[in-house]
Amino acid sequence: MGRWEYFLKRVLLMVPIVFLGTTVTFLILRVGPIDPAAAIIGPSGDTEAYAAIRDSLGLDQPLWIQYAEFMRDLLTLQLGESWVVVRGQSVWELVGVYGPRTLWLGFWSILIPIFVGLPLGFYAGLNPNTLADYIASFGGIVWRAMPNFWLAVIFVSVLTQSDALFGFSWGDWLVETQIVTPPDLSGLWEPTQFLGALKAILPAALVLGSASMGNEMRIGRTAVLETKNANYVEMAKAKGVPGRLVVWKHMFRNALIPLVPVITGEAFLLLGGSVLVETVFAINGLGYLFFQATINGDVPLVGSLMFLFILLSVGINILQDFLYTVIDPRVGYDGGA
Amino acid sequence: MGADTDVGSGSTRTGEFREEASRPEGDRDLPLSERITRNPGPAATWAAVVAVLIAAEFGAIVSGLLSVPPWGWVGGLVPGVVEPVAALLATVAERGAELPTITSRSVIDNTGYQTPSGWEGTTLGLSPAVAWALRVAVIYTYSFTWLLVGWWGYTLYRRHYRIPDWTPRDDVVNRFRRHSWGLFGLTIVFAFVVMALFAPVLGPTTVDQNIENPYENRIDYYNDETGQVESIFVGEANGDTQSRGQGDNNVGPLEYDQYDRFHPFGTLPDGKDLFTFMASGARVSLLVGLTSLGIAGGFAMVFAMLTAYYKGLVDLGVVIAGDSIQAMPQLLFIILASFVLSDTWIAEVYNGGLVLAILFGITGWPALWRAVRGPALQVSEREWIDAAKSYGQRPRVTMQKHMLPYVVGYFLIYASLSLGGVIIGIAGLSFLGLGIEAPVPEWGRAVSAGQPYVATQSWHISLIPGILVVIIVTGFNALGDGVRDAIDPESDIGDGGNENVAAGGGA
Amino acid sequence: MSRHARDDNVPLNADATSSRDLALEVENLRTVFHTEHEQIHAVDGISFNIRRGETVGLVGESGSGKSVTARSILGLIESPGEIDPASAIRFEGDNITEYTESEYESIRGDGIAMVFQDPLSTLNPVYTVGNQIKEALSLHQDLRGTAATERAIELLEEVGIPDAARRVTEYPHQFSGGMRQRAVIAMALACAPEVLICDEPTTALDVTIQAQIIDLLMDIQAERDLSILFITHDMGVIAEVADRVNVMYAGEIVESAPVEPLFAEPKHPYTRGLLRSIPSTQTSGDRLETIKGEVPTPNEPASSCRFAPRCPKSFEECSEVAPIPTAVGDDPDHDAACLLYPESMTTDEAVAHHRPADDGGEQ
Repeated sequence: MGRWEYFLKRVLLMVPIVFLGTTVTFLILRVGPIDPAAAIIGPSGDTEAYAAIRDSLGLDQPLWIQYAEFMRDLLTLQLGESWVVVRGQSVWELVGVYGPRTLWLGFWSILIPIFVGLPLGFYAGLNPNTLADYIASFGGIVWRAMPNFWLAVIFVSVLTQSDALFGFSWGDWLVETQIVTPPDLSGLWEPTQFLGALKAILPAALVLGSASMGNEMRIGRTAVLETKNANYVEMAKAKGVPGRLVVWKHMFRNALIPLVPVITGEAFLLLGGSVLVETVFAINGLGYLFFQATINGDVPLVGSLMFLFILLSVGINILQDFLYTVIDPRVGYDGGA
Repeated sequence: MGADTDVGSGSTRTGEFREEASRPEGDRDLPLSERITRNPGPAATWAAVVAVLIAAEFGAIVSGLLSVPPWGWVGGLVPGVVEPVAALLATVAERGAELPTITSRSVIDNTGYQTPSGWEGTTLGLSPAVAWALRVAVIYTYSFTWLLVGWWGYTLYRRHYRIPDWTPRDDVVNRFRRHSWGLFGLTIVFAFVVMALFAPVLGPTTVDQNIENPYENRIDYYNDETGQVESIFVGEANGDTQSRGQGDNNVGPLEYDQYDRFHPFGTLPDGKDLFTFMASGARVSLLVGLTSLGIAGGFAMVFAMLTAYYKGLVDLGVVIAGDSIQAMPQLLFIILASFVLSDTWIAEVYNGGLVLAILFGITGWPALWRAVRGPALQVSEREWIDAAKSYGQRPRVTMQKHMLPYVVGYFLIYASLSLGGVIIGIAGLSFLGLGIEAPVPEWGRAVSAGQPYVATQSWHISLIPGILVVIIVTGFNALGDGVRDAIDPESDIGDGGNENVAAGGGA
Repeated sequence: MSRHARDDNVPLNADATSSRDLALEVENLRTVFHTEHEQIHAVDGISFNIRRGETVGLVGESGSGKSVTARSILGLIESPGEIDPASAIRFEGDNITEYTESEYESIRGDGIAMVFQDPLSTLNPVYTVGNQIKEALSLHQDLRGTAATERAIELLEEVGIPDAARRVTEYPHQFSGGMRQRAVIAMALACAPEVLICDEPTTALDVTIQAQIIDLLMDIQAERDLSILFITHDMGVIAEVADRVNVMYAGEIVESAPVEPLFAEPKHPYTRGLLRSIPSTQTSGDRLETIKGEVPTPNEPASSCRFAPRCPKSFEECSEVAPIPTAVGDDPDHDAACLLYPESMTTDEAVAHHRPADDGGEQ
């Protein structure tokens, strides 16, 4: 089996996963004890209005028809409207408003660990058992163990009062920004706007990426340590490849292979973790929207958002397989990687 | 760290316990009970020590075991037959709790008040801080004695009763004993488990008196103005001992409040004792975490056996099922499901703890399964599996006897790594106001309560729970690393794609 | 590094003409590994040389220090390993043990190249075979682009890989074991070395493939006038390829001789044991012999004969005196480090010959 055949097979495997995940979502929402009509009408609703709403929502139809319609709408990307949180607003519009903030947050919380955690890990792996290695390794372990929501709370408090605590005002530094607010994502192509948006998201991104940073450092270190002792590295040295080229060409590319699933896996974790961080930093993103929709019983919004999350994570999975296929030529050979 | 430095130690068959003590050749085929009867000395000594340890805590052990099931709820399930039994067992549990033990609050009492002539009400007139510290010391000494006695029992068994004088497991144990990072993890985890087990007696006050029913309990205190000993509702006293940042509104760590109550970790914004809250919260976290691991582990192991044995379509099916569950972000899924289930009977068991445990279990098994799938597949390729199949061994027996033991070790590694993640996840949910119902203590709620005061003098409310989580999660990770290096010193498992097991859904 | 110390230690056979014929000369090489508990003298004071166009065998059981010798020559010993500063490895007139890392890089490949034991793990799995050959070509022949590709294809053809033009774009995992080793040899040839170290190049291969690879190496040697250091544990292979043989045991060379006298008249009891354990040298009907026990780990400087515990001929003094290489037999190149020699002496005289003259005296 060739590499790309293998990749295609992996992509095909995603179809039943989307289907199954969406079905589970339906079961929870429609078969579970939640009553969307009651949520719409509120606690003081009268029975007539209640029945009318149930009827108009199709809640009295047989379950399999409800299921068929639910799946048809989602798979054709008709995400419907919010019933409770912003009544009547289409889900696509809501995603258009809330989504970019989460994407902006997610983008930086993947990028920062890659550019901080990986180099630190590689450095530690190249210089094992030195003081710098111990500091980096231990720091990584502790940093990784910190709960995001707690770290977020600490960051918010320290930054909002940085003036009083350190005599340095984070809010006024470089560009004036608020700390607990959604980032302003308009006009990103202008340097000051970009800087402002980046600065506004930076603490949250650091928090959300904290676990990834620790992980990438640790795994980067192990991967380098392992490839360092590989025979092909010795062979490269024996044929006279200069030290720096040995490191860059023969060690890092191989060390990247175990890091691929780690990085993509973390991209996926960010989706779930964003609820807490978005709540603390008041970044009104998708996680926050999902949380609000859930506690308000906004069934269609919850369902549609969950479907989008499933699509996203499946997309990330496909990206992971794609990267694997590109980086590791052995993929798909002898039964896979 | 230790993970890389200890690899070289390899397998030494010259462990410290190889000396041929009283292990007569003739005992080879006897069952363990027979072997003990032949040479009762070491076992008897050990049993005596264990008996003393049990006796010292008899009341607490009885009440502890019997108060685990939710009797009120069990009794309600089948009225008539079960109800009286449940009620009886509940009473026994209560009576047991009244028996004195060396760790009882009444043995070393830290509640009292200071009169001009000294401390009244505390044991031996010690200051509450010292009395409390003494009780904590007794509790931890007692617990670590158990640990040592357990190890001692194992060495006795190894020396006197086990038939082979060496097994591969001895190497695992010896490697772990030399793994200082793993031992550090074990110590932290053990201290945490003790905190959870002894939560009711560890705090300077009790959850019932201080947190759940403050207006049903009174305390005595010495009023400086009147010069009298007066009595006050705990609730009212709490109102005067709040930690809210500015001015006098703060009782920090290791401080006394105006009613002479000692607060090792300070007080919460509503004046309740943070240490008592934390100790009780540890119990909730550990219980929910272990239950969820039990559920996830059960699924993971069964699926690992099935997929490794049958491969092919079964494997593909589990892959798809697991990927489907993992396609939904864990924390969001749990938020959704726990909200949907919030009005059902199941949400009332353990104040929502059972629902959380089930949800973390259902969403957690795919990661665990992935972690043990590799080792399970490996063992299924071994010759002895083919041999078992070839002489017609039933699949279930093959899996149980020949495959499961090999995989259990790997499961323990990931269980340890993911328990930290579950604890963070539960705390994250209660930070959002979901999960464990108030006022039952949960760490995340303390972080949430202290959020406005982080940069004030009441910093302790948020900071201490967070630091404890960091220490405990690090401890579980270290233990997992240690077990991994002990089981399989050459392996690099746990450094690959499954690292995210430990992340608790990103909370 | 003490240049002076070395200058005092004038080479044994400081014959001007012969040393110009030498491609590589190893003298009193000691490589020590420092572990937490002990020092392992993996290579403990060995000396040998390779003449131009000659194949020298280094043979011994696993753990005898053969591979460490090869890595020491190429400067690939890393912490916790260390080459004793008094050691000398002379290549093109320089003592290369004194080289810095970057000076070493300049002789690795185009001076001394190496073929390793396991061809799968010596090829980097994420680059094509062609890429890895071209890397060597660009480093040592200054060839790039299509010129390099063409040369790489030529090299692959030269080492007997069919359909080389297609193979050059394939990855190592797409090659079979024998093909991989051919590719590794092509890579070594791409460096155009003067000395080629072959570290168990056939051990990981099937027997039939082994013979092909050995033939290939011999052909290449004849064509290019290469000097080869051939490391193996297999006496049969040595008999086929080597001109001269050094037998290594526990970090020391116990016997060295041209190949014919070595096989015809092995002097050291260890060499005899080794030869008796090869099936083909046995007359039919005899039981195949084995040498009982394992190679000891040399964790302290030699103060006795390290083979003594396994030696059928050992006597009391063997555990007290470390033997030194001593001329044996008719051939001037035939040495053995054994208290039984020189044969012309009585045992007591021989022991006295081997016993160090004073505490510091080496030779």
